[in-house]
Amino acid sequence: MEDIEKTFETRELTISMGPQHPATHGVLRLVLNLDGETVVKCTPYVGYLHRGIEKLGENRTYFAALPLSDRLDYISSMNNNVGYVNAVEKLFGIEAPERAKFIRTMVAEMGRISSHIIWLGTHVLDIGATTPFLYAFREREVIMDLFEMLCGARLTVSYPRVGGVRNDISQEFLDRLYEFVLDFPSKMDDYETLVTENRIWKSRTVGIGVISAEEAVNWGLTGAVLRGSGVDYDVRKYAPYDAYDKMEFDIPIGRKGDCYDRYLVKMGEMRQANRILKQCIEKLPAGPVMADAPKFTLPPKDMVLKDMEHLIHQFILITKGPTVPEGELYMGTEVPKGELGFYFVSDGTGKPYRMRVRAPSFIHASVLPRLCEGGLIADVIANIGTIDIVLGECDR
Amino acid sequence: MTAGKLIRTIFFIEILQGMALTLRTMFTPAVTRRYPKVKRPVQPGFRGLHALAKNEEGKMKCVGCGLCGAYCPSQCIHIYTTEGEDHNKVVDRYEIEVLRCVYCGFCVEACPFGAISLSEHYEYSGYSRKEFYMTKEKLLANWDKYFTGKKGERYYKDFWRPKSEDFHGYEGQAMFKGIKNEK
Ligand code: SF4
Ligand code: SF4
Repeated sequence: MEDIEKTFETRELTISMGPQHPATHGVLRLVLNLDGETVVKCTPYVGYLHRGIEKLGENRTYFAALPLSDRLDYISSMNNNVGYVNAVEKLFGIEAPERAKFIRTMVAEMGRISSHIIWLGTHVLDIGATTPFLYAFREREVIMDLFEMLCGARLTVSYPRVGGVRNDISQEFLDRLYEFVLDFPSKMDDYETLVTENRIWKSRTVGIGVISAEEAVNWGLTGAVLRGSGVDYDVRKYAPYDAYDKMEFDIPIGRKGDCYDRYLVKMGEMRQANRILKQCIEKLPAGPVMADAPKFTLPPKDMVLKDMEHLIHQFILITKGPTVPEGELYMGTEVPKGELGFYFVSDGTGKPYRMRVRAPSFIHASVLPRLCEGGLIADVIANIGTIDIVLGECDR
Repeated sequence: MTAGKLIRTIFFIEILQGMALTLRTMFTPAVTRRYPKVKRPVQPGFRGLHALAKNEEGKMKCVGCGLCGAYCPSQCIHIYTTEGEDHNKVVDRYEIEVLRCVYCGFCVEACPFGAISLSEHYEYSGYSRKEFYMTKEKLLANWDKYFTGKKGERYYKDFWRPKSEDFHGYEGQAMFKGIKNEK
């Protein structure tokens, strides 16, 4: 036996996985050193989708930088928008009216469901189950249609505004959303029937990519990846923004911190999101949807046509931007991927002096070597799927 | 392993349940469309290809103030103006690089005169980049094409935001009206 090992020369093999690999969710490139099928070393390379969003944000007024946040994590653009406007509002020191807050919470949870649905579909597809992918897109389409009805765009919505939301919701939207909310738990049951107990799924995910609670915290993980390890940290609960303090919901947590637990956490989150949606609709108050803060919101259009003051105001706000208190601010919000934070340094002009985005995907991508090393190459795919990264956000 | 678990493992219970679900779904109506033949209906207020509005006399409403260009996040609107005969501003060229546009609708929001609009057109295809460089003429033609009759007026009534009522609230706002078709 020893003779054979001596005569066969074995050496480590270096392969590059991505950036065009279908299972790397975009343009992530992993350089893997392999010993047979075992991953010895894994090095993620990011930056293929770098567009300089932070820099672009510094060259636009606080209002006009909003569509940039759509393009961070483009499958949950609504949540990024909500995070962005919340941070900017805090910087300006204004607050959105109650109804706008409820609407934002509502659309953010819709975004969460649609993002988690994609995650579910692609994650199980990577591992080999095609059917849930198709089912998942069926439900996602409903949400996309609702978004289109709401604001005229399906994916890059740019719906919330600093100080409120772009437009009020229509009765038809509310009714159709409620129908969806009532229907969605049965769809969730469908996914769970297909996936949760499936023996192939379990053998591919149970015990894969284990990360302990302590390590997860040390790596700076947030979102479902952290909660899968048993830490019940959720920005929506511990630093509530919008209407989350009026909502009743639980934070699902896992125990072992493996792929399967993270899967369960995300499934639980979808059910909770549905619960929040239901409460949002039922408790939705009447009232304005834009804050009464003329210095920080565009003036109403009917007045712009009639009144010189408003017209001047419109010109100033658009060309120069608002006059902002000096200082710096960080605000984190819970997006489907984890904690998305915006950090602004304001020098008092209408444009941020510095805009920094704390992108959960970037931090989660950095933990990949920790999850993959020592495992099999086939499990790399499971690990990429489970941390749920979007490279648009990672590379910014 | 408990007895129940053993039975599940031996008889492939969870696999069979999954199979039953897929079989059932086979008899539900398809949710997909045969796209080029069946087009998806667009919701009103869709943010598609631009059009420059005309007033009742068929003249261009745009005065060339340049606000839309200043606000545009992708900075894809180019406006060139000169002084006209009676010292008014004349818009010589109004151009939008449609391939750079992100369809955020901010130009509509910025325009103080209701002169630019986003139509419901969403099928962009062409043989050259030039076809996507919208000139003033093309944009005005879009208005005739996509905002015929009362549609243009309605567009500005419904989708030109924000409105005064957004700041005050109004009668008949969308509210939850109880359960209509509980399943
Ligand atoms: S829709 Fe947005 S990106 Fe396109 S031209 Fe208007 S402001 Fe610019
Ligand atoms: S479209 Fe409106 S905002 Fe743009 S230049 Fe013309 S009048 Fe001004």
